[in-house]
Amino acid sequence: MTILVIEDEPKTGDYLQRGLAESGFAVRLARNGRDGLAIVREEEIELVVLDVMLPRMDGWQVLEALRADPDTEQLPVLFLTARDEVEDRVRGLELGADDYLVKPFAFVELVARIRTLLRRGPVREEELIRIADLEIDVLRRRVRRGAATIPLTAQEFALLHLLARRQGQVLSRALIASQVWDMNFDSDTNVIDAAVRRLRRKIDDPFNPKLIHTRRGMGYVCEAPA
Amino acid sequence: MKSSLTLRVTLAFMLIVALSVAGVGMFLYRAFVAEIERRDDLQLLGKLRQVQIVLGRPGAAELLAAQPDFFRDTMSGQEGSLVRITAAGGAVLADINPAGERTPAPPGQGAIASWRARGGIPGRIVGGGARLGNTPVTVVVARVYGERTAMFARYRARILAACVVGGLAAAVLAALMLRRGLRPLRAVAAHAAMVKPGTLAQRLDIAGAPSELHPLIDAFNAMQQRLQDGYARLSRFSADLAHEFRTPVTNMIGQSQVALGQGRSREEYEALLASNIEELERLARMIESMLFLARAGQDEVLLARQPIEARDELERVADFFEGMAEERGLRLQCSGAAHLAADPGLVRRALANLVSNAVRHADPGGSIALHAESRAGAVALSVTNPGAPIPREHLDHLFDRFYRVDSARSDAEGSTGLGLSIVSAIMNLHGGKAMVESHGAQTRFTLVFPTG
Repeated sequence: MTILVIEDEPKTGDYLQRGLAESGFAVRLARNGRDGLAIVREEEIELVVLDVMLPRMDGWQVLEALRADPDTEQLPVLFLTARDEVEDRVRGLELGADDYLVKPFAFVELVARIRTLLRRGPVREEELIRIADLEIDVLRRRVRRGAATIPLTAQEFALLHLLARRQGQVLSRALIASQVWDMNFDSDTNVIDAAVRRLRRKIDDPFNPKLIHTRRGMGYVCEAPA
Repeated sequence: MKSSLTLRVTLAFMLIVALSVAGVGMFLYRAFVAEIERRDDLQLLGKLRQVQIVLGRPGAAELLAAQPDFFRDTMSGQEGSLVRITAAGGAVLADINPAGERTPAPPGQGAIASWRARGGIPGRIVGGGARLGNTPVTVVVARVYGERTAMFARYRARILAACVVGGLAAAVLAALMLRRGLRPLRAVAAHAAMVKPGTLAQRLDIAGAPSELHPLIDAFNAMQQRLQDGYARLSRFSADLAHEFRTPVTNMIGQSQVALGQGRSREEYEALLASNIEELERLARMIESMLFLARAGQDEVLLARQPIEARDELERVADFFEGMAEERGLRLQCSGAAHLAADPGLVRRALANLVSNAVRHADPGGSIALHAESRAGAVALSVTNPGAPIPREHLDHLFDRFYRVDSARSDAEGSTGLGLSIVSAIMNLHGGKAMVESHGAQTRFTLVFPTG
């Protein structure tokens, strides 16, 4: 899984490269559009993270070049923009970008989007999710830990299902709010924290090991201890 | 130049004066002409009468036969006069026609008629019977009015000249007067040209201006007042913004420098980074909110209106805040129902901001009511929380950016101070408004969406 990051801003490029590498991706970094296109032609790249504001050849031109070449026509492209103008987003998507993020964005959000793009195609929903002794029966909406059946409200179930489905991935509060409640704006962070605390009281507090973990400054992750 | 007021008014004045002069001139001319014609006709009839009397005198027949020249000399006298006397048989007894005019056809007895002499010169003709001795004769008297016609023509030319001169004089006067009269307008223009951010406080003096310009000056001054207010608000907003940014930035710089001052444990570094992220996320939220407000203010936010069941949105937002409310011993209760066409994402955002506020300020143990109802021509969504009422002096400012009732508590809870401004902006985008009332022991925010 090699991701190409095309980003001219030195700090941004560096942390993206490092962060994505530590998230388990192979990463190539290009500091301008021309180098980026050269890397795409020479190497096996599976996804491009593209900054729109690039010197000389800007992101739109890179995107056009990628879409014009039959070899890279289908290559997933996620673009980053600092100008959250509707026209910008529309333009990017019209030119064939697959997704976009507006700066400033949470790094975990970027990772989540990249994973989604790489998963591409219909995602097979698991009917039964197991994490340690936690068992989620998605169809019957039933949750058990060990021998105990845990009754959950609809929202608690939706939250647990999201965390479990993406087990091992850190989910940002914004992503949780958007996926569980369809609240697509940065809202009060306390809300998500309270919802997670409620879920933990039922899922984790009476049991061991703990499965839902707080990643301070990033969000929440559901995983069995290694 | 086409749209020049001076030019248009000047032309209008010119036209009015020219037409007036022409009208008066024509009236006087017609009266004058009628009078002259009447007198001339009387004179002509007098002449006929004179001829009849002369012919009726004893010895007239002999005199006419013996001394036609004498008779002619007696009868003529005026230039352009014609007299013809014919016997019953048609024989011409006398014909006084010095200019050799075409013989006019005699009109009926005693009737007076128009007639055209050679060269189309107009004349008048009258005929009548007379007795010459014992024989009846016919007398025709005519006159050619060449001089009179020429005089009328001169008179008309003078009227035309008066029209032209009057019109031109009116134009010059109008232009001069307008120049003077429009001086206050130029003063307004000069003042407007001077307006810049630093001079917004200056107002146009209404006392010295003519009353017709008062509405303009009032409107202009009101516009300047609005500009001044808006400008002041923007300046205050920038200042507030800088201030709001200062706190998290200070925290981050300070705690990072303290942390780097000496070796720390890994946990301490992690805590520092996490704390920095929290501050940065707050900054990011503020930036996002400000961009939203800026765009909403410019009407650049596209509304994706859809039919919405208000109750569903209330339930969704209540559900979202349930955990947080529960921790504070609060309950969220939804009631009512209504349909509306609005942007669901924005409605959700406005409601979430209100409920977030309510949860933060409600008395613990109470119940927050989310209510939807259809009113005449509107749908109202309200969020009511029990709690100490907000003092009246704050109510008007609650929707202002960064306005906080309790200025000391500059939010440890992560609020940006922009939540209610965003609510207000969202309502403006929908053509509705956000209202607040606070009395007794409860505070209610109401979102009113106009329908239809």
